Amino acid sequence: MAQSMMRKIALSNMFVMVGLTRRASSRSLATGKNLMVKKTSNDLPPEEEITKSVFMSQSTDIYTNLALEDWMYRNMDFRKHHVMMVWRNEPCVVIGRHQNPWLEANVPFLSEKEIALARRNSGGGTVYHDRGNLNITFFTPRERYDRKYNLELIKRALFRGFGIKSIINDRHDIIVRDKYKISGTAAKLGRTTAYHHCTLLVNANKADLSRALAKRETNATPSTPSPVVNLSDLDNRVTVESLQTAVGYEYLRTPALQLEDGGERHISKQRGFQFINPTEDWFPGLSELKNDLQTWDWSFGRTPMFTVSRSFPVPSELLAPSKVYSAAQELVISMTVEKGLINDVTLNIPPGLVESGFHGEASVITHLKGKRFTSEALNALQDAMLTRHTSGDVKKLDEKEQFVAKCFDQVVNTV
Amino acid sequence: MPIRRSKVLVKWIYENQHKIQAVRYCSSLLRYKELEESPQIEPEAVTAPQTTPRPQITPEFSFKYDDLQVRLAAPYQLQPKPEANELGFGKYFTDHMLKINYFKELGGWQKPEIIPFENLSIHPAAKALHYAIQLFEGLKAYRGVDDKIRLFRPDLNMQRMNLAAQRSGLPMFDGEELIKCLVRLIQIDQEWVPHSESSTLYLRPTLIGTEPTFGVMEPDSAMLFAILSPVSAYYKTRSDGAVSIYADPNVVRAFPGGVGNKKVGSNYGPTIAVTSRAAKLGHQQVLWLFGPDKELTEVGAMNIFIVYINEQGDKQLSTPPLNGLILPGVTRRSILELASQWEDLTVKEEVITMERLIELNSKGRLLEMFGAGTAVVVTPISNVGYLEENIPIPTMKQSQPVFQRLKDTLLAIQYGHIDHPYAKIIS
Repeated sequence: MAQSMMRKIALSNMFVMVGLTRRASSRSLATGKNLMVKKTSNDLPPEEEITKSVFMSQSTDIYTNLALEDWMYRNMDFRKHHVMMVWRNEPCVVIGRHQNPWLEANVPFLSEKEIALARRNSGGGTVYHDRGNLNITFFTPRERYDRKYNLELIKRALFRGFGIKSIINDRHDIIVRDKYKISGTAAKLGRTTAYHHCTLLVNANKADLSRALAKRETNATPSTPSPVVNLSDLDNRVTVESLQTAVGYEYLRTPALQLEDGGERHISKQRGFQFINPTEDWFPGLSELKNDLQTWDWSFGRTPMFTVSRSFPVPSELLAPSKVYSAAQELVISMTVEKGLINDVTLNIPPGLVESGFHGEASVITHLKGKRFTSEALNALQDAMLTRHTSGDVKKLDEKEQFVAKCFDQVVNTV
Repeated sequence: MPIRRSKVLVKWIYENQHKIQAVRYCSSLLRYKELEESPQIEPEAVTAPQTTPRPQITPEFSFKYDDLQVRLAAPYQLQPKPEANELGFGKYFTDHMLKINYFKELGGWQKPEIIPFENLSIHPAAKALHYAIQLFEGLKAYRGVDDKIRLFRPDLNMQRMNLAAQRSGLPMFDGEELIKCLVRLIQIDQEWVPHSESSTLYLRPTLIGTEPTFGVMEPDSAMLFAILSPVSAYYKTRSDGAVSIYADPNVVRAFPGGVGNKKVGSNYGPTIAVTSRAAKLGHQQVLWLFGPDKELTEVGAMNIFIVYINEQGDKQLSTPPLNGLILPGVTRRSILELASQWEDLTVKEEVITMERLIELNSKGRLLEMFGAGTAVVVTPISNVGYLEENIPIPTMKQSQPVFQRLKDTLLAIQYGHIDHPYAKIIS
């Protein structure tokens, strides 16, 4: 009797709660707060209880896929379910969380060829992706993060599937034929979940790759790029589909914690391959993550402060005539860029150019400040110089101004 | 037609009959085992009792989950996932299915297997194709707010399935073992449930007679298979969110002594012509009437409920009793059990006739009318087309409608907002 009374009360209270929670129930996932309720942290299940899935993303848009990776990292519980996600993208360049896109990639080339630029959430270096490049992300609970296991798995898949032998070096690269790097790797370790993300070159466009990643000269560390090779050059049976199938089966047949073969029997205990449709309806909260990744502020604006400096020899016709100069006449332009915006501009104008009548420094500096470090800045500069001409009709920059504008152009738009 | 029974099963049922929810066959329509239909029973008693230990499972009696073999689909066998708003109901299916054969010649039930989704290969003389020796079930798996998957009272579906099998001459089985197999199937195809609350996974276990001979008798071979479909809305409603139903007294869905209370395919085929006719007249579903009194039995593929002010001036929720013409719906039962816990509502199973309905409506005492079923949960009805006239029902005009409260409670239980024994967590 008491029990049914209690139930009556409980249920009538529940009704109120239902009214409140139903409305707010759109699972407010993935907005920067990890809302996994009451996960007791140290109760990791034994190996037998862990099942594995291979998720195959149906999207080839880099922002969607990065957002999906982020969504899974924030919202899924991987304690009993380890996941390997395979994905590929239309041509794009992905820089690490803390990197500088202007220094790592040829930004003007990217915008010319409409190659997207994205900044991912994990650290590490810059990579070029296209449809000939396979991305693999391994999701596990934080305590079970094991980069070596993941790379060994790939190594075994390459051998079992195609007979390709490889080694893993100290920098956790996968090397074939003793010198060619075929992988890049990055990771993110959170409080409860971790992911390890690597890429494999199967059939990438190497010409576009090297042009997209051409580095700007700075006084920072010179890069030592390793020679790269496409796996399909080593064995023409390797395609993105056959490779993802091979790595997928290797992942499913290997127990979660030990690197030994469990065979078909082990595979039949897993969850297998799944297609994933990364849209807002299937994954509420995904659109917000994707939009954040696509903003200029995130991709470019997140850059730590840096300085670029270039010097340009002034062509003789622009110098004051019939004067001999002791030193070479060079125009030196330096800019500091903070948060992707031009902060400070310093012009070192050689005396030759001053004497021949160039007086534009002040307006140049004022008008560039605060602009984005892109062609936007240059348009502003041109406008600034134009308005200086107070004598009404002449709406053209004179030669010296043109020269200075061209030099700025080079600083911003070429590497 | 001889009813198939295994001696062991019979003995066990006999020993435990006072505890389990089984329909006892009586000659009279209206006599029932009270336990099954009473809304006062506590939810806990619904689950299978653990009194005597279950008999050793032999193939004659049932298949076993422990014998389940799994063959996962290769990437080239997978179907890409559609947009979540295109899902509809039963248009798309998942990548795997469950299949269990029964061969009397080989001892009975064979080992269950989960295989990549495929077409069936059936002999043209298979009994299911000729005499409708077939039955099915419908239940849903929900992804809850805590990302756990829940099944809603699957044991009730299993009981119902076995009773239908008994009546159809098909082999019976242990419902618990089937639930375990279904759980494994759901675990594999879990990603077919979107991570939001707009969609769920609908499970369709089906049992067909496959023996390829023309004799009208119990098939000695059968197949039990289960397929899953991600679903969103069942059917379109009108702009006010309610449906209009059409009642034709000349059409009969079920009759005394028939199989109206069993979930067999042969109940549904004959309803299509009338439903099309109703659609042409602008109605979404058909109201099934029976007898000279024009009793309301069911609406479309759902059980029917009305809310009205009774003679004592109290608000009352009524539904027709299980008299053999009505499918014992799981949602129907849950509604009766939940509503009888509410103090402001009287709950009663009683025969409702069209005359009574019209009388209550004209006196303004009829408040709501709705259908309830697994596919839709609860659907309000705002209009009844009967004998050339349209009878509007003020369901959508109520300020705190009972149907909405029931729907919210059921959904809250199913999606895990409320902890309740009705919803079984399976992962």
